[in-house]
Amino acid sequence: MSDFKVTIRSRDNNIHVLELKGYLDAHTTPVLEDSFQKMLIEKKFRLIVNCKELTYISSAGLGVFMAFIEDVRANSGDIKLSDMSPKVFNIFDLLGFPMLYDIVTFEEEAAQKFEMKQ
Amino acid sequence: MRLRKILLLTGALILSIVVFILNAVTKNVDLDSSFLQHVRTVCILFSFAAIYLYLNIVKKEKQRGIVQGIGAVSIVAGIFLAIYLIISFLPLKGFETRDLTLFPRDYQTIFFSSVFSIVAGIYAIVSLLYIRDLVLYKRKKTTLRNFVILIGSIVTASCSQLLNKPLEESLVSGIFTGIAVLLIVTNSFRLAWIAYLPRKEKIYSLLYSLLSFFGFLVILVVFSQEAGWAEKGIHYYSSALYTFVQLTSIFGAVYFGMSFSSTLFHLPTAEAFDRKQTEISSLHNLSRLINQVFDLKDLAETATKMTTEVVQATSVWLEIIPTEGSFHKSGLMSHRNIDEQEIEAVLAGDAQSVRAVVCDTKKVLMIDDVSSDKRTKHLPKMKKVGSLLIVPLLSHQQVIGILYATKEIDYGFDQDDVDILSGFADQVAIAIENARLIEKSFEKERLQRELMLAQEMQKRLLPQQLPVFENVDMKAVSSPALEVGGDYYDIVQINKDLVGIVIGDVSGKGVGAAFYMAEVKGIFQSLAKIFPSPREFMIKANEALVTSIDKRSFISLIFATINIRTGEMIVARAGHCPILYITSTTKEYIRPQGIGLGIKTGKIFNDTIEDKKIMMKSGDVCVFYTDGVTESRSSTGEEFGYERLLDVVAAHRHQSAEEIKEAIIQTVWNYTDAQGYHDDLTIYVVKWF
Repeated sequence: MSDFKVTIRSRDNNIHVLELKGYLDAHTTPVLEDSFQKMLIEKKFRLIVNCKELTYISSAGLGVFMAFIEDVRANSGDIKLSDMSPKVFNIFDLLGFPMLYDIVTFEEEAAQKFEMKQ
Repeated sequence: MRLRKILLLTGALILSIVVFILNAVTKNVDLDSSFLQHVRTVCILFSFAAIYLYLNIVKKEKQRGIVQGIGAVSIVAGIFLAIYLIISFLPLKGFETRDLTLFPRDYQTIFFSSVFSIVAGIYAIVSLLYIRDLVLYKRKKTTLRNFVILIGSIVTASCSQLLNKPLEESLVSGIFTGIAVLLIVTNSFRLAWIAYLPRKEKIYSLLYSLLSFFGFLVILVVFSQEAGWAEKGIHYYSSALYTFVQLTSIFGAVYFGMSFSSTLFHLPTAEAFDRKQTEISSLHNLSRLINQVFDLKDLAETATKMTTEVVQATSVWLEIIPTEGSFHKSGLMSHRNIDEQEIEAVLAGDAQSVRAVVCDTKKVLMIDDVSSDKRTKHLPKMKKVGSLLIVPLLSHQQVIGILYATKEIDYGFDQDDVDILSGFADQVAIAIENARLIEKSFEKERLQRELMLAQEMQKRLLPQQLPVFENVDMKAVSSPALEVGGDYYDIVQINKDLVGIVIGDVSGKGVGAAFYMAEVKGIFQSLAKIFPSPREFMIKANEALVTSIDKRSFISLIFATINIRTGEMIVARAGHCPILYITSTTKEYIRPQGIGLGIKTGKIFNDTIEDKKIMMKSGDVCVFYTDGVTESRSSTGEEFGYERLLDVVAAHRHQSAEEIKEAIIQTVWNYTDAQGYHDDLTIYVVKWF
């Protein structure tokens, strides 16, 4: 089974970063799901998902973002994605995610966007 | 059997009559080893042999228990004693003794002597038959041998008397009698049956043994007096019979004397023995049930019922702690003589509760006095709960359930109960594990069946064969990665000139994916004819899907219409892989914009989706595919990618659609190094002639 890991890190201004690492498919989505669930329970809605070390994402993986985005946005937060490799970006792009999600090149950029909004 | 009984009885009767006649004829003659004397002896022997065989059959026909057997012996002894007493008072002239030989004074004496002798013989034989059952209970190899030797010695001692005159006492008979008495004593230690009697039967056995003992004793004492005519009568009839009756009475007296005292000593432990018996049979019953009860609820009911029996508890309940992936609701499975509120009251206090203690220590917890024990004294007073015994059910060092038993009285449970219930709990734990495993395997089987059904359904959703057209060559293939995949392709003839092609990928796999796939097929088959514009079709399809689809699922789709007369192709893409398009001069991926179906409602989706028009010319190749093709991985983990796909199609673009399709599959197959396809893989090749 492929390895997948989520590391949660907090930034200033109540922003939290989920660093994804490895291969996100149907087998590993529960890991990411649990992390999002935890954020929601702890009422942390300003989230950046750093995809720097994400090597692959399957349709089930994309589904996780779709499952949580509404709740996060309803609480005037957002899930912003950053640091994608071109290959991973292509997967997001094919499905039209850039039209629905804030996908930025660097994590800093995402953080600034959160701060600006504030 | 009936005939044999009649024969035996008749034989005995005839022989006895012969003896009586002989006695009457030779009333005043001393036969002393004459021929007639021998005839008489043989007749007597055979008559008793016949009586023995008859009684043996009768006894076998009516099987009695151990205690009833002893009762029967005491009754037989009593009856014999009664007959003896009555007969003693008969006004008979009796016998005249001359030279150690007895001569009856009248015929009545002869008659009553004969009758009484036969009664005495019957009494002795019946007594021996019942004692035999007792001695041979739970017999070992030597038991039967010892008993046979004893009977042999009794018979020998008796028969040795035949050599003497009726009242003569010889050394030989004395020695044999002595040996017989010795053997009687040794055989009288065979009392194995006592231990196995339930307490109640032990008391009866005690009573009957005492009665039998006194019966035999009185018979012995009275017999040795030789005062009345009755004893002499037996002597006169046969001195061997006299010895036989005497030895049997000794045996009876000794044996029942021993059995009485032994039963008396067993009485104090009878209750404990009874309990052990119940315990063993309960454990046995439970082990048997393990193989029969697959339902946890039934199992719990049985366990609590048996616990109640085994430790005589006032109330018992069993809770099962669910394991992950268990299909059972947690908690209380069965309770007896206590309701849920009461149980809750006993277990109040979460982390400090007795339940928590047992879960923590994984050991049996016994609380002798609930009202004063520091772990339970805070609990409300309950009459049913004076003392408490809590046993964890362990499986692989995990507490999978807890068994509770209470008694009204304080100090109601002892170490025995702990031992019993521990053993019991182990069995219950195994049974629970078994029940769970069986349930899991049922569930697995059910899922497998479901999956097969879905696979079957999915196969039927894909077109069995693509239609053949004059200008367009089409070939398609789909192979699911798992039993049930999420890939879909289809074709529909919209009108005479227009053909609609669809290829899609439902997120997720398995039964859910197959279900969505069926929905997509329904939408495609109905909407494609009504909305031949791909963009419009996509908008309507999204409307239909977005409300019914799970919010984390989506469908990527390409819908293309091809005018088979002009070659005009209009295509819309909803989140799906771009279309590979190769002409004589160009090779490229065409990627109209659009997000996947089922992600967003209304305007957002509608704004993103667009139509793209392509004019197909002779030799042009268009390939639709799913991400299983581009995401196939080599042994080093590298993806097949878009470039390789483009190259292989370009290299085969002059060939037929079938050959192009085969070339793609072959190349992907070689690339993945026979690891098998990584994902569902679908290819749809369209070539303009």
